[in-house]
Amino acid sequence: MIEKEKLKEYAHKLMFDMDEEEYQTLQEEFDVILEQMELIEKIPNIKEVEPMTFPFPLEEAALREDEIGDYLTVDEVLSNVKHQVRDQVKVPKVVE
Amino acid sequence: MDYRHKTIKELKQDLIDEKTTSEELFKEANELAHKYQDEYNSFVTIIDKYKKRAKNDSMINGIPYAIKDNFSTSNILTTASSNILKDYIPVYDATVYKKLKINGGVLVGKTTLDELAMGGTGTTAHTGVVKNPWDKKRLIGGSSAGSASAVSLGIVPFSIGSDTGDSIRKPASFGGIVGFKPTYGRISRYGLFAFASSLDHVGCFTRNVEDAAIVTDILKGHDPLDMTTLKDEDIKYSEHLDDDIKGKKLFYIKEICNIEGYEDENIKKTFKEFYKLVDKLKEEGFIVEEVSFDENLLNAIYPTYMTISCAEATSNNANLTGIQFGPRPKGDSIDEIMFNARTEGFSELIKRRFILGSYILQKENQDKLFLNACRIRRLIVDKMNELFKEYDGLILPASGSFAPTFDASSERLNPKATVLENHMAIANFGGFPSITLPMYYNNNLPVGINLTGKVRDDKTVLNMAKKIEDIVNLKNKVAGDENV
Repeated sequence: MIEKEKLKEYAHKLMFDMDEEEYQTLQEEFDVILEQMELIEKIPNIKEVEPMTFPFPLEEAALREDEIGDYLTVDEVLSNVKHQVRDQVKVPKVVE
Repeated sequence: MDYRHKTIKELKQDLIDEKTTSEELFKEANELAHKYQDEYNSFVTIIDKYKKRAKNDSMINGIPYAIKDNFSTSNILTTASSNILKDYIPVYDATVYKKLKINGGVLVGKTTLDELAMGGTGTTAHTGVVKNPWDKKRLIGGSSAGSASAVSLGIVPFSIGSDTGDSIRKPASFGGIVGFKPTYGRISRYGLFAFASSLDHVGCFTRNVEDAAIVTDILKGHDPLDMTTLKDEDIKYSEHLDDDIKGKKLFYIKEICNIEGYEDENIKKTFKEFYKLVDKLKEEGFIVEEVSFDENLLNAIYPTYMTISCAEATSNNANLTGIQFGPRPKGDSIDEIMFNARTEGFSELIKRRFILGSYILQKENQDKLFLNACRIRRLIVDKMNELFKEYDGLILPASGSFAPTFDASSERLNPKATVLENHMAIANFGGFPSITLPMYYNNNLPVGINLTGKVRDDKTVLNMAKKIEDIVNLKNKVAGDENV
């Protein structure tokens, strides 16, 4: 069984936490998940296959020209920011 | 005929004949949305004020519709059904929403989804569960749960959803309606909150195949804001629905369709109906053949999907920090604010998926899990493309049976049933166009049939689906209809 501390480490890397009970449930579930994952390793000669990260080759995909397109105003950018000061996002001091 | 049963075309004709107005249609849809909201929870936001729209000849001009709450809609609350975005009001429009506005569609509401579109049950939204219009004890499926229920209830003739594993096509099956996701890149994803970018598709729900073609005709096309979109096609799918299908070749997968492999009587019943349909398709001119597919690959569909989607999701959702938008909890440092925002903002289920994604992406697991999943994805897609050299489509039941109840036992599915319930992810792996439509009713509960075709050949998929719909003869049903 995967260690609970490991699960906590993975959660903290993604910057969140769960309560003890939730970790307990996940720990129990993880065995089932890992068992499912083993099916991935059962395919013979899998290492010879090139990993696929996109559904199909897209010949027409091209980067756009580096020209200014539509953009948001400062007011728009800040419209969902809860703490702001002088047109900037306010956060706790980062330099002592 | 009442509003709830009408097609887009019929509503359009009523508008042309001045039998009704767009405002009256909106009022009708709005009243229905409120009437059913407490019972079914289709919406996160119901629009109450009719807005004047652009007038033009578009087929959807003046027609009410709903859109999933993970599409950016400027000045309209967009939550992705998550607490971390519960107050978020976007400042820009998703391309699909912009197109719907330009065409004069009338927005009725933003629909409920599984939190951040990561789920298949419609039970994990921050505003509560979505219920199945055919039976309130059952789920409608997800993640596009509210979009499916809104169409199934007859609130709107069409709605927009997103589909990463089967998030349009499974709820369509459980709701007795049509759910179509076209080829990857056919419809822009700009403004859709990303779940797993290499698998995410935009699509629609309707109550008949023609309406799905009409909506797709409007939404498709290259978008400079989404570099993965395909070039425009100079054809309208809705004008090719009655093309002759004689000689079109379909296949089904032997290992999935072996009735003897299942103990559940309802699954057996589904396959009996499936084989009856196959016979009818043959009578109508389709060639339908059984094809064998490597069982190891079939068994790997679900873990491959989970591996790729969870890994991509952990990265895509890194922007949810509580700093630029979302709640701003207390914290003495930026890190602490982000940590608290994410701890408070995500539900337990989402966290579990993220932790799985984190595990998969650990250095020691990357090759063993993530890259191997990407390798299996290629093997499955290569096999499908090889079959598509000979066949025009894959046909399979969209689900083993009707929608499960909310309290259904969570006992683990046997491996065969797991494949049966998850095979539609194949179409996401390869970006294949794929559509679900009603196949039969079991005790007044719908079960869908799924048809998947060649990449870029959306026209043929819709054409064949229309023929299947004619044969099955279960279109335009609204939940509660009798004698189905």
